[in-house]
Amino acid sequence: MESEQKIRERLTGDEMNSGFMIITNNPLVNEKFGGNYHVVFEELSFEDTLKKVRDRIYEGHRLLSHPLSGSVKPNETPYKSVMVSENIEGLDTWSMEIIENAIHACGKFQFRSDKYRPEVYEDFRLIDCTLIESAIPSAECW
Amino acid sequence: MSKIKVVHYINQFFANIGGEEKADYPAELRVGEVVGPGMALAQKFGDEAEIIATIVCGDSYFNENLDKAKADILAMVKEQAPDIFIAGPAFNAGRYGVACGTIADAVQQELGIPAVTGMYVENPGADMFKNKVYMVSTKNSAAGMRDAVGKLAPLALKIAKGEPIGASCQEGYMPNGIRVNFFEKERGSKRAVKMLIKKLAGKPFETEYPMPTFDRVAPNPAVKDLSKATIALCTSGGIVPKGNPDHIESSNASHYGEYDITGVNDLTEETYETAHGGYDPVYANEDSDRVLPVDVLREMEANGVIGKLHNKFYTTVGNGTAVASAKAFADEYAQKLIADGVDAVIMTST
Amino acid sequence: MRLEVGHIFIKDIQFGAESKIEDGVLYVSEEAVKEIVLEDEKIKSVKFDIARPGESVRITPVKDVIEPRVKVEGRGGIFPGVIAKVDTVGSGKTYALKGMAVVTAGKIVGFQEGIIDMTGPGAEYTPFSKLNNLVVVCEPVEGIKPHDYEKAVRLAGFRVAVYLGELARELTPDESKVYETYGVLEGKEKFPNLPRVAYVQMLQSQGLLHDTYVYGVDAKKTLSTIMSPTEVMDGAIVSGNCVSACDKNPTYVHLNNPVVHDLFEEHGKTLNFVCQILTNENVYLADKMRSSDWTAKMCRFLDLDAVIVSQEGFGNPDTDLIMNTKKIEAEGVKTVIITDEYAGRDGKSQSLADADPAADAVVTGGNANQVIVLPKLDKVIGTLDYVNTIAGGNEHSLREDGTIEVEIQAITGATNETGFNYLSAR
Repeated sequence: MESEQKIRERLTGDEMNSGFMIITNNPLVNEKFGGNYHVVFEELSFEDTLKKVRDRIYEGHRLLSHPLSGSVKPNETPYKSVMVSENIEGLDTWSMEIIENAIHACGKFQFRSDKYRPEVYEDFRLIDCTLIESAIPSAECW
Repeated sequence: MSKIKVVHYINQFFANIGGEEKADYPAELRVGEVVGPGMALAQKFGDEAEIIATIVCGDSYFNENLDKAKADILAMVKEQAPDIFIAGPAFNAGRYGVACGTIADAVQQELGIPAVTGMYVENPGADMFKNKVYMVSTKNSAAGMRDAVGKLAPLALKIAKGEPIGASCQEGYMPNGIRVNFFEKERGSKRAVKMLIKKLAGKPFETEYPMPTFDRVAPNPAVKDLSKATIALCTSGGIVPKGNPDHIESSNASHYGEYDITGVNDLTEETYETAHGGYDPVYANEDSDRVLPVDVLREMEANGVIGKLHNKFYTTVGNGTAVASAKAFADEYAQKLIADGVDAVIMTST
Repeated sequence: MRLEVGHIFIKDIQFGAESKIEDGVLYVSEEAVKEIVLEDEKIKSVKFDIARPGESVRITPVKDVIEPRVKVEGRGGIFPGVIAKVDTVGSGKTYALKGMAVVTAGKIVGFQEGIIDMTGPGAEYTPFSKLNNLVVVCEPVEGIKPHDYEKAVRLAGFRVAVYLGELARELTPDESKVYETYGVLEGKEKFPNLPRVAYVQMLQSQGLLHDTYVYGVDAKKTLSTIMSPTEVMDGAIVSGNCVSACDKNPTYVHLNNPVVHDLFEEHGKTLNFVCQILTNENVYLADKMRSSDWTAKMCRFLDLDAVIVSQEGFGNPDTDLIMNTKKIEAEGVKTVIITDEYAGRDGKSQSLADADPAADAVVTGGNANQVIVLPKLDKVIGTLDYVNTIAGGNEHSLREDGTIEVEIQAITGATNETGFNYLSAR
């Protein structure tokens, strides 16, 4: 896979540890991790949050976690947290492919995120939080 | 219950008027007539449907008088007010396939009448229209008429009756980009094991989900020493000697041209032009080097940047030309380039 | 490893004074199973119910579906590292209660889903409508965290299944099947001319309600590894995930993995079924690189000729699926992959979130976005409260006349990606 190859070539052990930031629209993630990690929180829609990630990628930040994590589909849940590299590392085609495919996938799913009872939003926030949380141990040692 | 009304479109060959020499036959409406393959269709329809009119049109006439032919035929169909419009089957006849697809699509779009057609999967009309019109997959020659009608007739009836259309493999139409669920006889894991056994044995198998093709071509390794290399210029921008001696079409090209540029250092308004109908030709006609940079390559040749510019160039028009055709042209002339010792090609497009 | 699996056919479930299996009928003492569930104080209360094939019953929201089994001979017990102690399973003799399942239901989070209709059009889309189901509906204690509660319900389901399986220990099975795989050298000697084939199973591993456990270990934290295919028959892999319902593997599917079964059918005849390879679907991209590299490396190491790859989920796992496929094919090992599709309600969108021409042999479990209207059924086990919010449903899902308009995404097991079902698409 050419892009994966390029990542490997470019990065040495040190560089792989360049640190990460979490781009999110989930207040729970901001609350839980904002203190210890670099969390960029903004109240945007699911799709706009992905577009914000895309902008970072085109600036040269590397995508670290998959934007379609979790099986609650885009727009079924309003929340999304995505991890990207703290530093600018140069344009990475794999990151670009994944984020573009993810934004494209948003169009397939019925927009439903304004139709739930309040407690349900709490659950969505929780699930999104555990999904990004599962990436943190890996991020810290890679 | 009244019979379903069908209007059937066929070309000059299937109407028994003649072959290539009669391909300029203008569109003709034959009310109440069932012609050629229409008879096989009628037989398959039984009592359920009848062909109330047949439209015959020469393939050349259709493709070269697109606007008029379309308008005339649409008017004919509108007047007949059928429940469904059937075009073909065209098998592997390229211009017939394109005509069938074009007219069936137009009938659907502009008259709101459902349409269906059929052709061989490699017919250029297939890629162009299978996502717009239900298109039955046929064999590659009229020897497959029975098979084609066997799929075309039932599908046409279903569409006309407004019944739900099943998955492509169930109804016999080419996958058209719409995924349809259905229940198989065997469970998925069994189908996977069977597919694996075929793949291991090198036997043909059919994937249930063809990956979307991004059609990437892996680049060859870089030319080691340009100063010793023979570079050829090729284009899909339609550059041809003035007067277009080989009549390369302005769109949907049916062939490519091979032209000798020995001693030619510069393309001029007097000697070259563009045949391409898809862009404003003014600047290309003034100076065709803008699309096929012979002058620049000659300079490089003189300065030793490249070894030499190949003495022939290959050209065609990319506008509306089927992918399959483009591939076929390139397959052929690539062989010639290799035989002539060309090391690399610069392909210009527009 | 050699495992003999005995089938005991259960044709009905009844509540009774004492738990026993007699003449193919499973009698369940409600008191006894209640006690087993409430062993865990995180569960406030529990109700049991029975749903039989063809009855006008809807079970929702469904968490897991589990087949009761018991280890009669050989090392270890069912669900090693989870219920039974850690010990290698997959050999000896195991009995399974066929024709029935334990279904855990009830709210864990508010967007939960999972519908099993025992009759009507919905029943065609779930394999579990064909089973006699003992449904366990739990209620959490106040203020409990969803993580803790999910675990409690998960384990309660396994405990009930093990308890019921135990009832079959002294019985004689109605039929038996033997499954045997060999070590690398032994296999090559036994089947010198047969192609070497393995099953690469991708396991969901992303977080709460998205986890799978192997001998009790969270799959997120595992490196790709190999296993004997008979181990799953004793519950070596259990499910902690249920979102979304259509393409998650309930524990029932792990126990009865159809790829394992169908490869065994050909084992020794057209192929040598060498082993099962497990790999995960983590969220962190570099983890994916590591896991797929490892999987491809093992395929090569084992001198395999071909593999079947199954995935679990959509989106994130599609990337793992394609990475695995490309790298395995690059090692000269042929692949057939099993997936499902999310092609939109009109079937026109790109089915997978990732693609590659190397994946030229695909079996599909169908388009999960297909809409279906489920009729009103007489009885609901669980609650309809969440139907409006279940993935695939919308504000008008639950109509006034009681019918539900929903995507098949919400039906448990509808588009299963191990090829458990008959649904497909073209």
